[in-house]
Amino acid sequence: MEIVTIEAQPRAERGTSAARRLRKSGRVPGIIYGHGETPERVAVSAHDFAVALEHGAHLLELRMGGASRRVLIKDVQYDHLNARPVHVDFMRVNLDERVTVSVPLELRGTPVGIHEGGILEQDMVDLEVSCLVTEIPEAIRVSVAEMKLGDLMHVRDVPLPPGVIAVSPGEAIVCSVRARKAAEAEVQAAEEPQAPEVIGRREKTEEDEEEDKKKS
Amino acid sequence: MAMMPKRIKFRKSQKGRVRPRASRGNTVAYGEFGLQSLGSGHLTARQIEAGRVTASHFLHREGRVYIRVFPHKPVSRKPLETRMGKGKGETDHYAAIVHEGTVLYEIGGVPEDVARRALALVAHKMPFRCRFVTRRHAV
Repeated sequence: MEIVTIEAQPRAERGTSAARRLRKSGRVPGIIYGHGETPERVAVSAHDFAVALEHGAHLLELRMGGASRRVLIKDVQYDHLNARPVHVDFMRVNLDERVTVSVPLELRGTPVGIHEGGILEQDMVDLEVSCLVTEIPEAIRVSVAEMKLGDLMHVRDVPLPPGVIAVSPGEAIVCSVRARKAAEAEVQAAEEPQAPEVIGRREKTEEDEEEDKKKS
Repeated sequence: MAMMPKRIKFRKSQKGRVRPRASRGNTVAYGEFGLQSLGSGHLTARQIEAGRVTASHFLHREGRVYIRVFPHKPVSRKPLETRMGKGKGETDHYAAIVHEGTVLYEIGGVPEDVARRALALVAHKMPFRCRFVTRRHAV
């Protein structure tokens, strides 16, 4: 895996206002932690970081002044539109370390079951794997061409590159070829909409109504 | 058929105020593409249904449409030509509370251009400005 180098600056200020000022100036606040050392507050260029993320980078080299730090992107927080990163967590790593990361799953081919009237549903888009920092795969490509109608693919069936171990449970479903749903909507449309049942309120019986009349 | 809750704890609810920004439900979770609201307010059960019908009609039962909002909130209304007072009106319809960033619909199992056109049609039915979003991979 290629190591992307980006510039980072140490940041002394902390808190909401300072973070907002940083974001306005085109930078993203972040923190570097790990290896039992003191955490460092940093800021990275929002553009450079976004480009690195777009290219699926996991490992970064942060250049701060004269020194550089090798870090893993551990977590990214996004704004309410899930569009712009607002904070990044970096974890210090050595190149001989094993790490757990999420890798995109790419399904290749058209399943046989699609010609039998089924649809391919991908239940899992990222696979959590454990591997050496230098051997993080860009993506895990799985062929689904031989899947028939009703077939399921589990995590244990996914072929992984050597040295990569799946962390996600083996019985978790990656994708399936399912039959198209019958026209349920038309059946539902025929039903009359009913008022919801109110929890804890019992319906009035004839006796209750008589009692109400006596009271009034 | 318009969606409504099966069981509710209270028949009527207070009007309330809609917080503008979504802190959850703002990511594409089930499909590959989604329609994200850029405004906030109420989305009625009829509007949700209109969007669903539009998407499934356009897709000709290809792929899958997911609805990410549910009309939990009862909205009451007084009958016409009624004087003020005499208590709160009866429930008129149910609505979903939508924040800026809430993902309203998702589509999976179709190419991006098809999903884009389907969700553009759905966006016309929505009472807010909307944008097309794609699923983001985890780091």
